[in-house]
Amino acid sequence: MMTSSHKGRRRRRFGSIAALVMCGLASPALADEPWAERTQALGAIAEMPAGVLSKDDLETLITNGEALFGAHFTTLDGVGRPRATQAIDPTRRKHPREQVFFRTAGPDAGSCAACHNQPAIGGAGDFVANVFASEGFESADFDSLDPQFSSERGTNHLFGAGLVELLAREMSLELQSVRSKALSQARAAGSAVRLPLEAKGVDFGYITAEPDGSVNLDELDGVDTDLVIRPFSQKGVMTSLRQFTVNALNQHHGMQADERFGARWTGTDDFDGDGKSGEISAADISAMVAWQATLPAPVQMIPEASGWAEAADRGEASFTDFGCTVCHRPALPLESLSFADPGPFDLAGTLNERQVSSKAVYDIALLDWAGSLPRDEKGRVLVPLYGDLKRHAMTDNQIDALGNELLSQRFVDRNIFQTAELWGVGSTQPFGHRNDFSTLDEIILAHGGNGREARDAYAAASDAEKSALIAFLKTLVIVP
Amino acid sequence: MMKLLSLLAFGALWLVTSGHGVNAETGFSADVPILHEEATTAGIDQSYTGGWEFFVGGGAASFDCNGDRLPDLLIAGGSGPAKFFVNESQTGGALDFRPLDTGLKPEDLTGVLGAYPLDIDNDRHMDLVLLRLGRNLVLKGGPDCQFEKANRSFSIDGGRAWSTAMSAIWEKGNRFPTIAIGNYVDRSAPGTPFGTCEPNQLLRPRAGDAPDYSDPLTLEPGYCALSLLFTDWNRTGQPDLRITNDRQYYRGGEEQLWEMSEGRAPRLYTASQGWQRLTVWGMGIAETDFDADGLPEYALTSMGDTKLQKLDEEAGEDRPTYRDIAFEKGATAHRPYSGGDPKPSTGWHSAFADFNNDTMTDLFIAKGNVQAMPDFASYDPDNLLLGGFDDTFHEKGAEAGIALNTRGRGAVVEDFNMDGMLDLLVVNREHPASLFRNLGAATDWGHRPLGNWVKIELDNGKINPAAVGSLISVRTGTRTQTRRIQIGGGHASGRTGFVHVGLGVSERATIRVQWPDGEWSHPYRVFANQHVRIIRGEANARYWYPAAQ
Repeated sequence: MMTSSHKGRRRRRFGSIAALVMCGLASPALADEPWAERTQALGAIAEMPAGVLSKDDLETLITNGEALFGAHFTTLDGVGRPRATQAIDPTRRKHPREQVFFRTAGPDAGSCAACHNQPAIGGAGDFVANVFASEGFESADFDSLDPQFSSERGTNHLFGAGLVELLAREMSLELQSVRSKALSQARAAGSAVRLPLEAKGVDFGYITAEPDGSVNLDELDGVDTDLVIRPFSQKGVMTSLRQFTVNALNQHHGMQADERFGARWTGTDDFDGDGKSGEISAADISAMVAWQATLPAPVQMIPEASGWAEAADRGEASFTDFGCTVCHRPALPLESLSFADPGPFDLAGTLNERQVSSKAVYDIALLDWAGSLPRDEKGRVLVPLYGDLKRHAMTDNQIDALGNELLSQRFVDRNIFQTAELWGVGSTQPFGHRNDFSTLDEIILAHGGNGREARDAYAAASDAEKSALIAFLKTLVIVP
Repeated sequence: MMKLLSLLAFGALWLVTSGHGVNAETGFSADVPILHEEATTAGIDQSYTGGWEFFVGGGAASFDCNGDRLPDLLIAGGSGPAKFFVNESQTGGALDFRPLDTGLKPEDLTGVLGAYPLDIDNDRHMDLVLLRLGRNLVLKGGPDCQFEKANRSFSIDGGRAWSTAMSAIWEKGNRFPTIAIGNYVDRSAPGTPFGTCEPNQLLRPRAGDAPDYSDPLTLEPGYCALSLLFTDWNRTGQPDLRITNDRQYYRGGEEQLWEMSEGRAPRLYTASQGWQRLTVWGMGIAETDFDADGLPEYALTSMGDTKLQKLDEEAGEDRPTYRDIAFEKGATAHRPYSGGDPKPSTGWHSAFADFNNDTMTDLFIAKGNVQAMPDFASYDPDNLLLGGFDDTFHEKGAEAGIALNTRGRGAVVEDFNMDGMLDLLVVNREHPASLFRNLGAATDWGHRPLGNWVKIELDNGKINPAAVGSLISVRTGTRTQTRRIQIGGGHASGRTGFVHVGLGVSERATIRVQWPDGEWSHPYRVFANQHVRIIRGEANARYWYPAAQ
């Protein structure tokens, strides 16, 4: 027999369910209104792009990608990951978290553009927009700035990122072809063969192949053992814009991409346990990649202030004389402007070209800004990135200001970072991987390790020479 | 009320269709590998035939005999000669084998039930132990797939028994391996075959610079062994010998676990030590360690249900008391999953592996009627039990393409074309062996690769160079997977070479090795989708690449 108390509870339960149903009935309609609190751009691209895109199709995709990059994702979209950590590998949280946002361990941003906004969307971030890079496995819930739990990093800008990824792909192929050559020679000769690893004129150490088909990797320098150049992040540990996008959407927003967090790899469509399934489709990721990959390259622009042009000229010469260009290469040659997505070097968990029926190809040459890129006599684009896409030790016994981190990241020791590309440096202060150097002078003087010789040359220069170098660096700007 | 119910129903419908359900679990959602049978085009033509002595057996050995690291094969033929095949597959391409004439006499290769590869003399050329009806044969491997009989030079008698199983381990301080041979029915005993199981044999090397097994021990009683495995069941670093026995022929027998102690004759674990009597038609043993706690689980194939044994936590770590978790894990595989035959299955070879590279442990079981036993299924397809993210197994043999009408016996799970996706050889009774190439997952445009992987080869140095007995621990994120390098188990079939580990979406892994003497290595950091060589004493792992084609 049901007591009155039971009846009361049942009425309340019916009431709750009815209220839920009312919300449920109303939600789909509300979701389509222009003012709906969900991101309209999500799912707007129904299928992944494929084949070579026309300029119009590319621009449509880019527009959608920008909308996603700028969107403030909401809980209706799937923001938050109460049951998942920020880790690059899908990892369950030991205890669900109640808050959607969490400044340190993340999710820590409403949108990509919340951090990438200096001087415009897709740009860098000020110190306030620093992120806390953690592997997200053992200490997923750190609420401390203590570097034993995470590495505090400044937000890099993304202008010219498509060219950077293309350079990295070509360099990876070049390095891997050296490996193949060494192996062929060793097998043919029946003895070990040691070859220098060089790509686009950048030296990455040596590889030694044995006649049995194995390679000794002890002498690699500044590159991962699979000889894939990973050009993104301060450390140079991310392979592609696609991989970085999938990682960042999870870490910073709790928006989980199907291609890594979906049922294929986790057994559930809602790995983060927030009640939303299929939060980010592969097509959404493609749109975001397309937008980032086609952001214009930074340029050199000399302010009209009196004397700046002349100072910048002198500074540029000093930049070479001091030895800065050993790592901050003014330009690297690029064979092709065709950006394929998904790309060739991502592994399972980020879509790659082997996982799809047909990859999309974005011809960056179609874009207006690409027409002004310098080319060499062979017709190759000279990408003016002022970098080498190589990792270097940045500290030594005397100069260790860039050795503030305590954690290695993805097999890269704590004091080793990829050469910062200086294009756009005039638009993206403060400086350094932690964004904690307010002037260019300070960050130059913080170079130890592999940068020590150039740093010492700068330190020994006259004030006028130093000033000229700063004048030069400040001409490397982002023009959105 | 009706309106309310309608409203509730509509609401429930919306919750489901809009993806807002509370439970978004989707059953088995990982990749199902498509295993394409291509034995004929690959040049593999070998059937396992013969009378009732060859109802059991039917094994194969996978090993590299010519130094190119591609797994070559020897496949038993029963009453016909065993055959060698050299692997000439292109990386990621169709499987391709070339029959090899070793020059051995056909009579030496006839009567072979199974084979295990083992570098007995530490010369880095894989030797072979052929389990035969009658004298077992030891073949010493040389360069370029040369083999010579080595029973005399290794002082291995070979016996006269009907041998069906083998396992080997380097016992502490020994230069050469200890080899256990499992025997079946004593056909010459009065009353044969019932109750006349032959004792098993333990070959311990005598001290010296060359293998000398002239003083074998008898492991008695024997209960018609069909699979043996040296296993460190209680993570003491001291492997014991596990034997699965065929209850069809023994009287008063049971499964066995022999305690191996240095310098002492093995002793059977007893009920007072926690060993529980279990009688099955034991056909094959496979070992894994689901949770990488160092306490392995075992799959025991049989007629009817497969046992999946886990050490009983309540019994105490040092007591070999097991509970059967096959039902809760969905791994009983007790009757055919397709074809409609309701009779019990007959299981033979078993092997744990990650066929779809999703990091979850899968289980392969070769199935097939003994011959024409009317109480057991006649159409009895092999099982491919894929481990799901729900921690249970899901039968996907039909979808994968291995549900053939053959009588499977031994098998080898191996990446024959070095693409990181595990292929499969199944030896069939009275039918050509099946060779399946793993194509990846099916899509509407073809096949896509599976998850990431790493393959690991260990080099332990001068003694036991292939590091038999080592434990490999692979860490990705918060997950640890382990693999033990073992010679033994399965059904009359063994393999050596790279050890495969699926990595799912991880693009890198940290590997540690517990070498056979118990010493742990430092961590080795490797990237996914690489063949990794870890040489004891070297600071960094090496990568290995197949020859360019």
